[in-house]
Amino acid sequence: MTDERGVPRREFLKSAVAIGGAAAFSACLGREEVDVPTGPDDLSSYPQRQHAWNEVLPRDDHGNVIAPSHRLLLYLNYRRDGQPNEDDRDQVETALRGIEHAYERSGIGLLLTVSYSPAYFDRFDESLSEGVDLPDPEALAPFEDPEFDTPDAVVHLASNTAQVVLGAEEALKGNKSTLNGVDQPDVALTDVFSLTDRRTGFIGDGLPAKNAGDAESVPADKVPDDAPLFMGFKSGFKKNQASEDRVTIQSGPFADGTTQHISKLQLNLNQWYNQDDRWQREAKMFCPYHAENDVIEGAGDNLGNSSKIDDCKPTDETAREMGVVGHSQKSARARDDEDSPLILRRDFDSTDGGTASLHFLALQRRITDFVDTREAMNGTDVTEQSAVGQRNNNGILQYIRSERRGNFLVPPRSLRALPPAQPARDAQEVTHESS
Amino acid sequence: MNRRDVLRAVGGTSLVGLAGCAGLFETRSARAPPLPENRPDAVYYPTHYEGMKMPGMKEQGGYRCALTYSYAHRFWLMKPNGITKVEIQPEDSIHLMPVVWETQTGIIPPDINPQLTITQSRDSIDQFAPWPMLSQPMGFHFGDNAQLQSDGTYTVEVSIGGPSTRRTGSLAENQGNASFTFEFEFSESTLNEISYTDIPDDREGTKGAVDLMDMEMLPNSQVPTPNALPGDVRGSGMSGDAKFVVTILEDASRFGGDEEQRYLAVSPRTPYNRTMLPMMSLSGTLHRDGTSVFDGILQATIDPELRYHYGTTVADVQTGDELTITVDSPPQTARHEGYETAFVDMPDVKVTL
Repeated sequence: MTDERGVPRREFLKSAVAIGGAAAFSACLGREEVDVPTGPDDLSSYPQRQHAWNEVLPRDDHGNVIAPSHRLLLYLNYRRDGQPNEDDRDQVETALRGIEHAYERSGIGLLLTVSYSPAYFDRFDESLSEGVDLPDPEALAPFEDPEFDTPDAVVHLASNTAQVVLGAEEALKGNKSTLNGVDQPDVALTDVFSLTDRRTGFIGDGLPAKNAGDAESVPADKVPDDAPLFMGFKSGFKKNQASEDRVTIQSGPFADGTTQHISKLQLNLNQWYNQDDRWQREAKMFCPYHAENDVIEGAGDNLGNSSKIDDCKPTDETAREMGVVGHSQKSARARDDEDSPLILRRDFDSTDGGTASLHFLALQRRITDFVDTREAMNGTDVTEQSAVGQRNNNGILQYIRSERRGNFLVPPRSLRALPPAQPARDAQEVTHESS
Repeated sequence: MNRRDVLRAVGGTSLVGLAGCAGLFETRSARAPPLPENRPDAVYYPTHYEGMKMPGMKEQGGYRCALTYSYAHRFWLMKPNGITKVEIQPEDSIHLMPVVWETQTGIIPPDINPQLTITQSRDSIDQFAPWPMLSQPMGFHFGDNAQLQSDGTYTVEVSIGGPSTRRTGSLAENQGNASFTFEFEFSESTLNEISYTDIPDDREGTKGAVDLMDMEMLPNSQVPTPNALPGDVRGSGMSGDAKFVVTILEDASRFGGDEEQRYLAVSPRTPYNRTMLPMMSLSGTLHRDGTSVFDGILQATIDPELRYHYGTTVADVQTGDELTITVDSPPQTARHEGYETAFVDMPDVKVTL
């Protein structure tokens, strides 16, 4: 099926989120043959954990959660100087509830989080509640020099349905009086916040290959047709992801919240696909053992529910003897005492700005957990003691450049609208009767 | 589909019908002639060698950076059990080489991997981290083939981060980042002014190497001759056509040891040109009267006097000690023609001190 301009329907759907706006949304409505159920009138059963997505997302045959395919990050600045007032809090909550009433909370429907930066909490006289580890963003490798994102807030919208992401965005901007047949409130999120940046993306089988034409420097004929990510391999295996429990803040007023790190990584796919061969891609993404033993078929669906890193030799040994180490192999070293990974990846690819990139969004109990994981991925310890270079043969560091980094707190649902730095203990019991 | 894909889709094996962008193609086969037959497992004379141009040089933060380029090259990437040949792609227009060196010593640090960003009128053209490479005329350098779309002015930003290889002496002080921006006037006619020297058929593929280029204003990536190395040079050995020179320094305090300890340094280099051989995993054992007195890794280190080398502190070294150097991984640098068959299969080196 093609539209009047000759753009195949599926082609249109994936770039629509990148384009955004009312026209893209209307166009989507006509093209996506899907009825998205509306959300409930009473939202009181929604979990305190904004990041509790896994229970409503589909899983593959191996039990891996299938990440929602269409994504949007809205970077927002609070319009008011100083501390937020209750009116603004009510407006934010009302606007968010508007889109939650319009779309059910599911993979086909809408998943969302609202998060706040250290810069936002600087407006309060009190420091952020103890027990929340939320430092300012910083460079996380000796060889990177990223810009730092310091908006007040970031809203993450996710769905397997492109029109849901676009419709939710339009409603939050006050451009929809009804959404999915549901009346929208008179207030807009953008009455309270100004939009400073809009980042879009996708993840899922086949989407990178289909989006390759939107970005310069993507060898379109090289990204495998079934790969969920530009680099050609599956990620987010169940056993390589922290559980939602593991990343949840356990105590204090922000209990049931989590922290979120978002980096923008630019990808160099020319070297990856046109210069390296399949052996090198497998060795550098996973480990040399996997490449030597043909462990990975295609994008790696055959690996099941883990990247099978236990089969790889220790990273330092591989570095010394093979001169190359894998990304998964290095990263898997960052684990807690119970052998759990520290971070929950909810990253996705992007063609924002016409370049192939990865919005690496990760949730963890403390930002320190992310820093530790990235440190393991840097492999600085390995490079000092082996033939592995700072980037060369060092996992996928040769092919990614950290352009931007930002840290955020995803508060519990009851505090998602302009939270104070030191919420009262009973804050979580506050309800919004108006909904 | 971007320009590269258009070219690939249209190109295939046929060059017919590409008259509009024929310039790149006409020269391509000429610049990548068939490899010599029966290449030795050693350094050999390549089919040809090329000059280079330097559009500019900048200085910042204790480093200098020269932007240099030549014709697009074929090269090889290393694997644990072989090499991968990287062919020139149809859209590759030049081989871009940012040469960064430490101002005081003239040392080109192989661990500081530059990042390149190429823009034209603020439009992104390309961004990549060039590979660490070994070439006979250029020595050790970072380089990769780049895709400039046509004649014009390009902005090339070269950014470097902190080091990841141990540094000693005055070099240990500079841990900073730096960035160098060049305005680069590119034209195919200027590119074609770069020298291209064919090596006679009876010479190509035979053991030997073309000389390092005489690069005015640029440092080279050589290590000292044995006579010029500090300490007491106690011997040398060959492996995979590389020469390993062993020297013992009296005082190991600069290298993490103390004044009473010795520093055992191994300085590998290419034959003929004395180019450093970085990015190896080396280990060593020291035997005295049949007993092991040292067994451990030789750590890659950059020192103002020893320059790039591998070393360890030891309690003592006595005449007659047997040193065995094991190459756990050969140099993981990419290779230009003439170096791809050497420094790959590297057996132990035994030196009696």
